[in-house]
Formats: sequence, C-alpha cells, structure tokens
Amino acid sequence: MVEVFVDGRPVQVPEGSAAIQACELAGVEIPRFCYHERLAVAGNCRMCLVEVERAPKPVASCAMPVMPGMKIKTNTPLVHKAREGVMEFLLANHPLDCPVCDWGGECDLQDQSMRFGSDRSRQHEPTGRRAVENKNLGPLVKTSMNRCIQCTRCVRFANEVAGAEELGTTGRGNDMQIGTYIEKTLATEMSGNVIDLCPVGALTAKPYAFSYRAWELKRTESVDVMDAVGSAIRVDTRGTEVMRISPRENDDVNEEWISDKTRFAFDGLKRQRLTHPLMREGDRFVPCTWEAALGRVADAARAAQPEERIAVAGPFADAESLVALKDLFNRWDSEHLFLETNAPELVGQPAGFADLRANYLFNATIVGAEQADAVLFVGTNPRHEAAIINTRFRKAFLHNRCDFAAISPEMTLNYDCVNLGDSLAALTDAKHPFFERLRAAKHPMIVLGSGLLERPDAAQHALHAAHALAKTCTNAAPGWTAVNFLQRQASAAAAFDLGFAATTAAAAAKRPAAKFVYLLGADEVAPAALPADAFVVYQGSHGDAGAALADVVLPGAAYTEKSATYVNTEGRVQRVRAALTPPLAARDDWAILRALSEFAGTPLPYASVQGVRARLAEVAPSFAAPNVQAAQPTALAVAAAVAAKAKPSKAKAKALPAVTLPVTDFYLTDAISRNSRTMAQCSRAFTHQIAESAHEAHIAV
Amino acid sequence: MSWKGAVSQTLRELRLHMCQTGPGSAGLRAFVQTEYPALKAQYPDLPVLVREAAGVEARAYGRFAHGREQRLTLEGLSQQDVAAKLKQLVASSA
Repeated sequence: MVEVFVDGRPVQVPEGSAAIQACELAGVEIPRFCYHERLAVAGNCRMCLVEVERAPKPVASCAMPVMPGMKIKTNTPLVHKAREGVMEFLLANHPLDCPVCDWGGECDLQDQSMRFGSDRSRQHEPTGRRAVENKNLGPLVKTSMNRCIQCTRCVRFANEVAGAEELGTTGRGNDMQIGTYIEKTLATEMSGNVIDLCPVGALTAKPYAFSYRAWELKRTESVDVMDAVGSAIRVDTRGTEVMRISPRENDDVNEEWISDKTRFAFDGLKRQRLTHPLMREGDRFVPCTWEAALGRVADAARAAQPEERIAVAGPFADAESLVALKDLFNRWDSEHLFLETNAPELVGQPAGFADLRANYLFNATIVGAEQADAVLFVGTNPRHEAAIINTRFRKAFLHNRCDFAAISPEMTLNYDCVNLGDSLAALTDAKHPFFERLRAAKHPMIVLGSGLLERPDAAQHALHAAHALAKTCTNAAPGWTAVNFLQRQASAAAAFDLGFAATTAAAAAKRPAAKFVYLLGADEVAPAALPADAFVVYQGSHGDAGAALADVVLPGAAYTEKSATYVNTEGRVQRVRAALTPPLAARDDWAILRALSEFAGTPLPYASVQGVRARLAEVAPSFAAPNVQAAQPTALAVAAAVAAKAKPSKAKAKALPAVTLPVTDFYLTDAISRNSRTMAQCSRAFTHQIAESAHEAHIAV
Repeated sequence: MSWKGAVSQTLRELRLHMCQTGPGSAGLRAFVQTEYPALKAQYPDLPVLVREAAGVEARAYGRFAHGREQRLTLEGLSQQDVAAKLKQLVASSA
C-alpha cells in the first residue's frame, strides 16, 4: 500500500494503481472519457487532468502511477482551466445534434460539458467541423462517426475482451478514425457492449434506433435467461413494451458485459405471443376460456395411466413452475420428467446424473474460469453456449497463457485452441501432448458440454473419463475442481437441482408410449418422439414449434413478465423481476400449474408465491441460500468414486458416435430468438455471412 | 451394508440435505460417501438427490407414490444412526 494525498486528504492505495483510482478511493470524482477500469489505459482524451505537486504541467491521472507521498490536487484553478480547455477542443469537432442523438440524456460528453466545460463558446464560424464517413459495422451497431471523440474504448474492448481484432484506428491527430479499414462487420457475439462503452453517441444500437428517449424509460433490475450464465441485466420499458436491455454490474458473473443475444433478442418478445388459451379443432386453434382449457387438460390427464404421462421442460422454465410441474406429476404418480436437452428422443439421462450437483454444475465457478491455465472442451463451444464465460476464458488466454484444446467438430474461438478430433476416444486414452500440459497445470479444467446429454451413454462415458483424467492432474491447486459441466439453458441447473429429468435411459426404454404430454415451453421436441395419439399440452410464451404440436395451448409469461427464480450454470440462485405484466390472458407459469392441479382434483399444497418458494427450499436447500456455493466436497468425492468404479475404456468410447455441437447458430436457439427480427438479421450477417444489399445498408445507416 | 431388498416398492425418490462443512451433517456426509455407491448399484433408477448447501440442517426426505413425503431430521447423528434411520425410511411405504 502507498499513501498519497488527494486534496490534502491521505488515502492508502495499492502499489501500481493510477492516480485516478486514488482519487476515486478518496471520493473525488474525476471526469474521464477514455479511461475504463476494465480496459487497458489509453490516456488519450486528457479529460482526467489533475495537478500534482512539483509536476510542471497538469498530468493525465489515468496514466499516472501513484508514488509514495504524492500530492494530487483536483480542485484548483489550473485543473478547472485545463478541463475547460480539453472540453473546448472536444466540442470544437462534435456536432450539435444532441436533440436527435439516441445517447442524449445519457451522454458522458453532455453531462461533463455541463459540469466541467466553459459556460460560453468561442466558436463563431458556421462550418469547419471535422466530417467522418459512417462505417457499416453490421446489423447491431449503428455508427455516427462525426460524434466520435476518439477515446478508443471500443477498439480496446474489441481487441481485449471480444477478441475481434479487426477494429482499430487509422490516421493521426485530427484525421484519426475508428474503423475496420477494409469495410467489415464487427463479427463478435459481444459487439453490443461497445454501445454502452461509447461515452458519446458515435456508436448506438441499430435495431431500436430513435425508438425512445432515455428519460421515458422505467428501469427494472433483472437477470438474463437467454443462456445459463444468468447475466445481470436491466430491463428498460415504456408502457407495455420492452425498449432496451442493458447490462448491470455483477463481478461474479458478467462483470459489465452481456452478449448480443441477451441485449437484442427482446424484440422476439413482441412477436408470436400466446395471449389466450387455445384449443385445437381440426387443423386450427380456437381461443377458449381458461376454465374450458384447464378442464380439457385435466380430463386428458385423468384418462392416461401414470406411466403414460410425461412432461418436458423448455429452456426458459423457472424454478417455481418446474417444482409445481414436478409435484403435480408426482401426485399423478408419474416420474417421467424430461428436460429439453434430452430432446428430441426423450431418452432421459445417465443413471444418477442429477443425484450429485457436482455432475451438472460449472464447479470451478465463472470467476474461477479466469484462473485456468489448461482447458479441455468436450462437446461444447463456449463462445456460442456461454459467451460471457468465454470472455473469462479469453482473459485466461491473455493473462495466464492458458492452453486450450477441444474434442468437438471444428469451431472458431477467439483464442488459440487445438482440435483433438470429435471422438470421445481422444478423452479416454489421453495421449495427445496437450494432456501432459493439462496434468501439469495448477488450474486444469475439463468442460463438458450439455450437448453430450443428447446421448446418455456418451454423457456418462465423458463424465467418468473426465473424472479419471482429473485424478491424474496431480499438480492441481488444493480445493480446485477440474471437472465442470457447462449448461446452455437457463432452466437446466434448476431442473436438475429439483430432481427433474430423473428418468434414466434404461427406464425410458421400458416406458409405454406416452398418452399425455405436457410441454412447459419445450420447442425442440421432435414430433416423431411423440406418439400420434398422445394428447399434447403446450404451456409457454410463444407460438413456436412446441405449440404447433399441441392439442391445448396455455399462454404463460415471458421472463420480463414474471418474478421468478433461475439457477445459473454454476448453481447461483437468482431472481428475475417482472418489468411488465403478461399480455392479455397469459398468466404466471406456476399459477397455471396450480390451477390445473385444482381442476385435476389433486391440488398442490401451496397457493402463494411464498408457498412455492418454501417448497423449493424443501426440495433443494440451495434455493434458501441465494449465494453460489460451488464447493460440494461430498458430491465431488462421491462422483469421483463412482467414476473410478466405472473404468471408462477406449473400446467403449470408440463405439460411441462422434461428438457434435448443439448450437450451430448462436443467434437462433430458442423461441424468443427465433421470433426476433434482429436475431434473424444477425444470423444472416454473422453466421451465414450474407452481406446486406446496398439498399438495406443505406436504410440502416 | 447391503441394500438388497431394502427399498420399498413405493419409494420414488430420496433427498438428502446437508451442510458441506457443519459438524451436524458429518454423519450424513460420511454415510453418503460410503453408502451411496452401494445403494446406487442396487437401485440405479432410484434418484438419490444429494444436495449440499451451507448451514442447512441434515435431513432426509423420502418421496413415495402419489407425492406423499416423509421427512427425517438427521442433524448430529453418527453414520451408523443415519444408516439405521434411513433404512427405516426407505423400507416404509409412506
């Protein structure tokens, strides 16, 4: 620690920190544009000038390391004058289009010019401002480069965090420009974050440009469900519409980034919504009352034998509705509870998979992933399945020289990764030189993907082989868990926690053909897996693939419309908050199941949301303790013991099919993103690399 | 311990709640470490949900046919006592 004085007040700061950090610790706010605590220091905006005793000139506090006994002055005439000067230079070339700028009201330049700028202008000439051509960065980021103040935050973000190294600067001084030099879209799944980083309105959101003003929005703090990371988000609404989704800070999960799907898929919430209960009559759906719909569902459920009733939960199912669904089916003496990841064949999972939390959670935790120094991916593309966790892996790559290898089909990651082929035999015999590196690593990680669950025998084999491999990692730090399972659906960890999908493959083979199928937001079920005469109920928010199979459709709430609990891939229990009310006759999902239990004559013992949550804690105690509890020593020990007994063999691995990746198109993975126009454009531009026509580009710019 | 024939026909699920470190859960933790593989070998299709969370009381829930549940408090018991009580629970029929 070093002692420095800020405006005469002593503060203790860690050695090597910048003067701006010392000022922040002392509670003095320093204006800045280019400095950002999660990015490298650039020192080019000069807004953070402070006076340092015995320094001849004002110094940029973001680039000035603290020295013992340093005396920083932030409130002197010299500093005021310097700030005014910098502001004047920045504004000399900044267009006066605040009234039509999307960033107006949230703009750092606006705020700081009011607070630190001069109160009058010396500029009288009507022309002479710098003009820069706008760049086409693809369907998400809109550019208005006249407004750019060259802070280079976007360039640093793209290069460091997102790994999209094509964004950079060209030219010097007044001719400096941000861009890709050769016109190119910003092809990264994290591109939306440059919009938040931009301190002026040079980079704004293209999909919802000009649709709101910042001060009209109602803000609701919530959690994302587009993947299993559980990023902290803020849902901004106006009236009955979501206008924008932006990240909140949560250092344990998403720092302050979110993926483009999280940010932009919300327009899917406005299309193809289910608003009324529907009943199939012939080949069309007819709206009906809740009484009629629930009565018909209850009759159909009663008509089936216990073994003939099955339920499938989709990617957005919250813990409350999962536990209500499970209790309801258990009351009907059915154990056939599936998770969509087991679809399309509805085969269940390896015996005992849901028994131990260590089997299905990301045990090293998201923060821990940053420390990794050797990582093996098995059947997963973290960039597509958990883009936020992938940024942590990129950090490990940059800062710990982490080595990566993958047993998967070829994939493009934003760090170096050796491909070991797509056969699980590579994991079992572990001969490749990479495995030597893994065994020698202090923080080795073996990341199993949720796509493996499509084949229960493959999942079991991979799990056992991973534990066998982890046992040989003798150099690992004490308390470090090498075996990790990466979920890709927000509902998965909660469903496993609650003992969902407890049907094993062996039991599934003996199961009679289903007569009553309950799809809780499940859209990936192959129609062929459902017998033609089965009565299918779909409960969910969107009229997508699942609803098309249904005999009765029950409209549920989307994640912005309910207060519900989700568990992320590391086992963190988090709550989403309702920003809106469900549309028309749609209802909270757990309440629909509660009502159905009444109609079926097997009422559930809870009738309030508090009651459901108490029940959640009774089924899995982690729901009562909202902090992540990654260490599960007993479960880990038991999982290792079970794996040691199983002795995964190479011959067995050879008989298994090649590993595949479950997500082929990052932008179109579920009912919400499939109904989003923005995501469709992204899929075209980024996944399929179809360039916009000149006409479209003209409209968009 | 042999688990052959120890589990009743109507038992659908066994849930074990414990603290990762608490002394009250020590017996249940030891039980899970030694007995879980044997129990699972005998009844591979019976879900035995081992759930660890900081500070919870050691407990077991047996879920039987038609969603009937029985709860057992195992806080502070030794591994032998846990085994004996759990045997009783899994053998009962709700």
